Amino acid sequence: MTDDRETPELRRLGLEPTDLDGHTLEELSDYLDSGRSPADPSIDGSPGCLLALDALDRLRGLGGQLIDADAANGPEVEASWVDSILSGIALDARAGRRIPFLSGDPTEDLGITEGAVRGLIRAAETEVPGLLVGRCRLDGDVAEPGAPIHITLEASIRYGESIPRLTDLLRAEVAQRLSVHTELNVVGIDIAVRGLQEPGSQKEEGR
Amino acid sequence: MVREGFRGELERADDGIVAGRAMDGDVAAFAVLVRRYTPMMRAYTQRMLNASAEVDDIVQEAFVTAWQRLPEIEEPARVKSWLMRIVSRKAVDRIRARRPVVDIDEIDQAAPESSSPARRAETRAGIAALGAALGELPDAQRECWVLREIGGYSYDEIAEELGVPTATARGLLARARKYMIVRMEEWR
Repeated sequence: MTDDRETPELRRLGLEPTDLDGHTLEELSDYLDSGRSPADPSIDGSPGCLLALDALDRLRGLGGQLIDADAANGPEVEASWVDSILSGIALDARAGRRIPFLSGDPTEDLGITEGAVRGLIRAAETEVPGLLVGRCRLDGDVAEPGAPIHITLEASIRYGESIPRLTDLLRAEVAQRLSVHTELNVVGIDIAVRGLQEPGSQKEEGR
Repeated sequence: MVREGFRGELERADDGIVAGRAMDGDVAAFAVLVRRYTPMMRAYTQRMLNASAEVDDIVQEAFVTAWQRLPEIEEPARVKSWLMRIVSRKAVDRIRARRPVVDIDEIDQAAPESSSPARRAETRAGIAALGAALGELPDAQRECWVLREIGGYSYDEIAEELGVPTATARGLLARARKYMIVRMEEWR
């Protein structure tokens, strides 16, 4: 411990237990992690500890900023990079359940995959500008012809658009596409609007 | 025209929608995730390994695993931290393959002396200083720091990842923090 009372900011930051009134940097890190609660008077009353806590606190959160800065300064993501990753993934990984067709030649075994049906549902958004389809789920026994099937899907809508109007349009478009391309007995289509998108902005989720 | 505008919308859509589609098998949505998070995953891996030779391999592996495991994700909106966990795990796998056991002596090992004055002059800004200091840490200390301060791992998780006792992870981390604080103070 030095004795520079007049100019504490010039005091060299000490991080050994002797500088920290017997506490260790590990203890101080834990104290900071716990939100300094319950309050520990032997830490809060120690100038050395408070200096070290300030320094630890400044260091915190910088890791995230460092990665953000690195990411912003890093090389562009090239199309060839994306292609190389896409070429390495199994495209049929999400086929899901198989949905049989009854009509047509009974000697032929015709069917469509659940994944293909999801693709059909997503494609309905092309008729509903301002809306994007997210995840969708088919509830019910799709392998059983005529079984009631309930469809639940998520969507996001461009800011300023009418939610009821777009969801009605989407519901009608999905129903129409499914009735043309499948034999599913669709008894309901639920649409959960998960977000509003501002034009030209990308909303990122926090870490 | 319509297609163009639509692609732009998907590119800007929030993570929940994009990851939800990728879960359902939409490759275009997965490509959006690749474009969106490659820079961050590269940056994380680079910091973790303190070397760039293997970074692209690791990030690529992470995306392949992510595609396979996407249906398991509980909250598609949190796909960013989920991807960071996957790439972190891949990076740790490399580290452990290369160095099966952490050198316990490293807890007491000091980082090398500060870098040259020229380098110091270039890196005046705090973040750059932090990056430089991180690069000077011994391997296991640096890995602990990245896992904790960037990856958000708990002490127990760090210990498990690196295959050391929790007390060792804590010791390494305290050592790393001490060094980083001292180096950062020099720049203030």
